[in-house]
Amino acid sequence: MSAEHWSAKLQRFDRRWIFLVMAVAVVVPLFVPLGLPARPDPMTKAAFNAVEALPSCGPDDVPPKCARVFVSIDLDPASTPEIEPFYRAVVLHLKRKNAKLVFATTWYQAPPLVDRYLRETIEAAIAPAGTDGYDGAADRPYRKGIDYVNLGFRDGKGAIIQAFGSDLRGAFDHRADDGTRLDRIAMLDGVNKLSDFDLIVLVSAGNPGAKEYVQYVGTRNKLPMIAACTAVSTTDLAPYYQTGQLIGLVAGMAGSAGYETLVGKPGAGTAGADVLNIGNLVVIAAIVFGNVVFFAGRRYQRRGRTS
Amino acid sequence: MKKTVPLFIGIAFGCFAVAEFYIPHHHVGALSNEFRQWAAILAASAFILGGVNILQVTWPQIRRREPDWRYKVVLLVSAAIMLLVGLPWHKLGSPAKTPTVERAATADAELAARGKAAITVVVDDDVTFMIAGKSAAGTGRPVVTEVDPGEVEVKLSRRVAGYRPLTAKVTVAAGERATVHGDPPMIWGRDGRVFVWIYDHIFSPANATMFALLAFFVASAAFRAFRARNVEAALLLAAAIFMMLGRAPLGRAISDVLPDVAQWLLDVPSNGGRRAIMMGAAIGAIATGLRVILGIERSHLGSDS
Repeated sequence: MSAEHWSAKLQRFDRRWIFLVMAVAVVVPLFVPLGLPARPDPMTKAAFNAVEALPSCGPDDVPPKCARVFVSIDLDPASTPEIEPFYRAVVLHLKRKNAKLVFATTWYQAPPLVDRYLRETIEAAIAPAGTDGYDGAADRPYRKGIDYVNLGFRDGKGAIIQAFGSDLRGAFDHRADDGTRLDRIAMLDGVNKLSDFDLIVLVSAGNPGAKEYVQYVGTRNKLPMIAACTAVSTTDLAPYYQTGQLIGLVAGMAGSAGYETLVGKPGAGTAGADVLNIGNLVVIAAIVFGNVVFFAGRRYQRRGRTS
Repeated sequence: MKKTVPLFIGIAFGCFAVAEFYIPHHHVGALSNEFRQWAAILAASAFILGGVNILQVTWPQIRRREPDWRYKVVLLVSAAIMLLVGLPWHKLGSPAKTPTVERAATADAELAARGKAAITVVVDDDVTFMIAGKSAAGTGRPVVTEVDPGEVEVKLSRRVAGYRPLTAKVTVAAGERATVHGDPPMIWGRDGRVFVWIYDHIFSPANATMFALLAFFVASAAFRAFRARNVEAALLLAAAIFMMLGRAPLGRAISDVLPDVAQWLLDVPSNGGRRAIMMGAAIGAIATGLRVILGIERSHLGSDS
């Protein structure tokens, strides 16, 4: 009986070793950052430029001097590491322009997250004057009903997104999430549907999300929309960016890190990009190692057959 | 009859949904909005049906002690707990909505001379307060804030979510001292403390853990399954390596070309293939939609049995 070839032994490699290496690759960069610069790709730059093109106004100005932006937060806790850094960066960007913000969600898992985001990023300043490592313009706490409105959650997937496109007020029974009648909120004067906003920002982790907004209301109403998605959804949404149906696309953690770089406030996305660097290297090493083992084994078997 | 009526309802609404795209009349738009409201109501009622369905499916499995019946018990108990804590029980009682305000009997001459008034806030150290738009944290001891005379809004909130803020409008004259104290009450329901705690401390970590496991399975699959067995597989493998390097900052650190290669892969081969799939799927969806509207496809109506 001949001795087993090394490649055959490695074929039965205990995969828990790979899990261990991956765990180290994920954890170590969080404590020992590589600090490689996260440069934005063209899709991320396009999203930044869309926000940058909005008019700036003073804290007490009202639309139309101030831009009105609809932010749809369609995500769950699983996707927050990839998309939340973009959300925080884009909200800081919008607040620097004193844009009036309207929030909504079509995900039933999202409302507690949205409430937390509003407390942490809207009702409080993200980058007040004197923030370490930030030399951009300071933002300020937003006032409910004056600077922002949370419309809350509505279920109905594609149908409800269509309703946003034609009758936003009706879709939310003419009330904000806290019960305030929408006709008593001055910043919403003249807003009846999505096309009344200057920009639509889609923080989208899946279905329903950016794809449904493009298909049901975006193209039909020629809405200016930017989206952030998880890395796995990039190939789903990139064709819409190429056709101009999305005017910007922030793809995964790398995209979020790029947006943070553009806004000038590195955060969780930039830190996560380090994990992405090492994690991707581990996956590539696993692919190369697996193929070396595979070809060595195949060569050994062929030699065995010929000898 | 059981099938014919739903079939005709489907045909009527299906035809209207298609026609509505081509008729830009406001009456048609208004009717369309009305139908979308119905759709939203139906979608919301599906949550109730879903709950009933879970009970119908899992309860018999628990009674018959089928394999993994213990997990079904966990499912039902968890669902029941979320239902109970998601109801706004606090509305049954009448918890305080405003803090208590006490005024000093005599005016402070020194304050009056400066044209100021003072509001003293006495709250626990886990409560924050906002006076005239300026916020501060409670310390457990009295905190005095000087304000301009007139109506001043005082808002007490707990640091953590799930408590109702207490708000009062206090009118103070020059030299007057007022003391505000209160304890923001816990609330129930979707914004309540228990619901938010379960969401933050159980649902969020569990949900994130499931997604995070992907990294480990992808690494393991990369070693075991991602093999260059033929030319197509080798191309796929090379594209994956370029994408992984090009989309991470490390790629640019290695070479400026890598991000451009990754972007080209996304813009040209990936988008081209994706577009072909999307258009094919769209044509398939149109065909299926027409079959449903014309009553040829009836599987959505269920079987006769």
